[in-house]
Amino acid sequence: MDTNIKFNTKNLDLFYGDFQALKSINMEIREKEVTAFIGPSGCGKSTFLRCLNRMNDLIDCVKIKGEILFDGKDINGPIDVINLRTRVGMVFQKPNPFPMSIYENIAYGPKCQGMKDKNQLDALVKESLTKAALWDEVKDRLNKSALGLSGGQQQRLCIARTIAMNPEVILMDEPTSALDPIATAKIEDLMSSLKKDYTIIIVTHSMQQAGRISDKTAFFLMGEVIEFNETPIIFTNPHDKRTEDYITGRFG
Amino acid sequence: MGRTAKDSLVKGIIYLATGITLSVLLSIVGFIFVKGIGLVNWDFLTRDYNEKVVYAFVESGEVPLSIDEESLKSKQPYDQRYETLQEGPIYVENIGAAIASVSYKNHSTEREQIVISYIEKDSPLNGAIDSTGKAITIGTDYILQSINGTDFGDMTLEEVAETITAESGELKIKVVQPGGGIKSNIITTLYMVLLSLIVALPLGIFGAIYLTEYAKPGRLVNAIRFAAECLAGIPSIIFGLFGMAFFVVAMNFQISLISGSLTVAIILLPVIIRSTEEALKTVPMAFREGSLALGATKLQTIFKVVLPCAVPGIATAVLLSIGRVVGESAALLLTAGTVAQIPGTLFSPGSTLTVQAYYVAKEEGNIELACAIGIVIIVIVIVLNILSRITSDKLDVFNKK
Repeated sequence: MDTNIKFNTKNLDLFYGDFQALKSINMEIREKEVTAFIGPSGCGKSTFLRCLNRMNDLIDCVKIKGEILFDGKDINGPIDVINLRTRVGMVFQKPNPFPMSIYENIAYGPKCQGMKDKNQLDALVKESLTKAALWDEVKDRLNKSALGLSGGQQQRLCIARTIAMNPEVILMDEPTSALDPIATAKIEDLMSSLKKDYTIIIVTHSMQQAGRISDKTAFFLMGEVIEFNETPIIFTNPHDKRTEDYITGRFG
Repeated sequence: MGRTAKDSLVKGIIYLATGITLSVLLSIVGFIFVKGIGLVNWDFLTRDYNEKVVYAFVESGEVPLSIDEESLKSKQPYDQRYETLQEGPIYVENIGAAIASVSYKNHSTEREQIVISYIEKDSPLNGAIDSTGKAITIGTDYILQSINGTDFGDMTLEEVAETITAESGELKIKVVQPGGGIKSNIITTLYMVLLSLIVALPLGIFGAIYLTEYAKPGRLVNAIRFAAECLAGIPSIIFGLFGMAFFVVAMNFQISLISGSLTVAIILLPVIIRSTEEALKTVPMAFREGSLALGATKLQTIFKVVLPCAVPGIATAVLLSIGRVVGESAALLLTAGTVAQIPGTLFSPGSTLTVQAYYVAKEEGNIELACAIGIVIIVIVIVLNILSRITSDKLDVFNKK
């Protein structure tokens, strides 16, 4: 088995009640690469992303068939879902910092895992914020509410909060769709620098963004993966007609 | 009829309705205040409702009068609506106080009594102790009934003054603390609020957490919600009857503080559940997802993220509940009783302010006193409302930037 494969899904089907949202997804996602999911709204890319850390558990009436292997282990089997989520972090579409101080936001995850030592927490907060390129902007107001930050800063805080858990994979669900271009550029820079330490999977509506930051791109349509390949190939020489139509803007 | 005419007619009706509502409100509050305000003073708030007879032990002394006769005469501390000065005052040096004879008359009683009208600053009365050696207060307006076994029964004021002057050394004085106050009712009300909240708050909050965070939407949840809504609409006398049958009789708690507070706790439950539920529902799903995605457990998510966001709503629920307890009368009448005393234990009876207002109005026909209690209740409710705004603003995590 290829040890570089982080996620490996086999014939993954997902139903919302009677509606089949994902149809037989087979995908291998490699370690320390940026994988981008593109596709029109409602094509199942976010649903698939949320399968990878079992966030779909929160929604009733979701039924999953097939396997999702994470480091070779089926995550829908008898595993510790809390442990899974500490290893597979997630950043959401809308920045969702908790209504606490900046410091508390970062320390929240580690504290929930039982980290109590103040010095250790301080160091972790500083390290996470530095990695998320936010330290210089907030170091003087760590005890102020995170809600006072701008949208872009809030999203970087959410990334820092995820980094603080030291995950292996970071899932990002349209992390820049609520942000202005400057904030978006900062987050994209951040993703490129995080790539060397983490496996990043990002859902995006912006094809330019996928082209700029990802190593591999998957094109979703109506719950199926139409094409999954190296990003340059997808954008310059797609094998499937539908992919070409989508990236050239003929629909979607 | 033209359109403008119709418009102004409807407008007139709207203004009239608003005017009637406002004037009714104002006249009720005004009536209560006008009737009752004369009785509200410090003594009213700090005295017991019932008169209390105590034997005071006092070391007699020699304290000269430090003010002139005129100002002594002007000191009339008693309630002048029930008490009229008959004779005196006469200053008695060995107890360092002036006594006067007044006639007391209210709806049911009429009698003559000797009262203390003035006490010197270094009067021996200020060092009075009871038979167990505990310090007690003797204040103006207290009634004197005997000294060292000599009863003042049929004596004139002068004879009483002579009798007191003739005594020396340790004096054993029988004094009556005047009643008419509502201290015990205020304290009972506080106890009631505290006890019922201690029972109802955790139950209600955990119930609401179950309904919003754990229960799968379906028949059971709908049934619970429906039941809670119905409970909120049932008149409190029904809860009173239940409390009387269950807590007072079946559990054998008797008519007591505990029966009353448990009954009120049941009345509060639906209020607390509903408002906590509403508060929890307004917490964005994104916070729950964010927390779970960081590897927090469901309980950690609820207690560290969701509940703190809901605190302003819960604080409002608490204050609403306090208002409800303060205002509750029917259920407490049946379960906590009408005895105006400070409950010594959980199992002794006591009457809250509202029950006391009912009691004095209905059983004694004393509307003024009932109105005076009404003023205290109104003030408490207003203060609670102001407090609820301040606390929910203060505790609102979204307000801090």
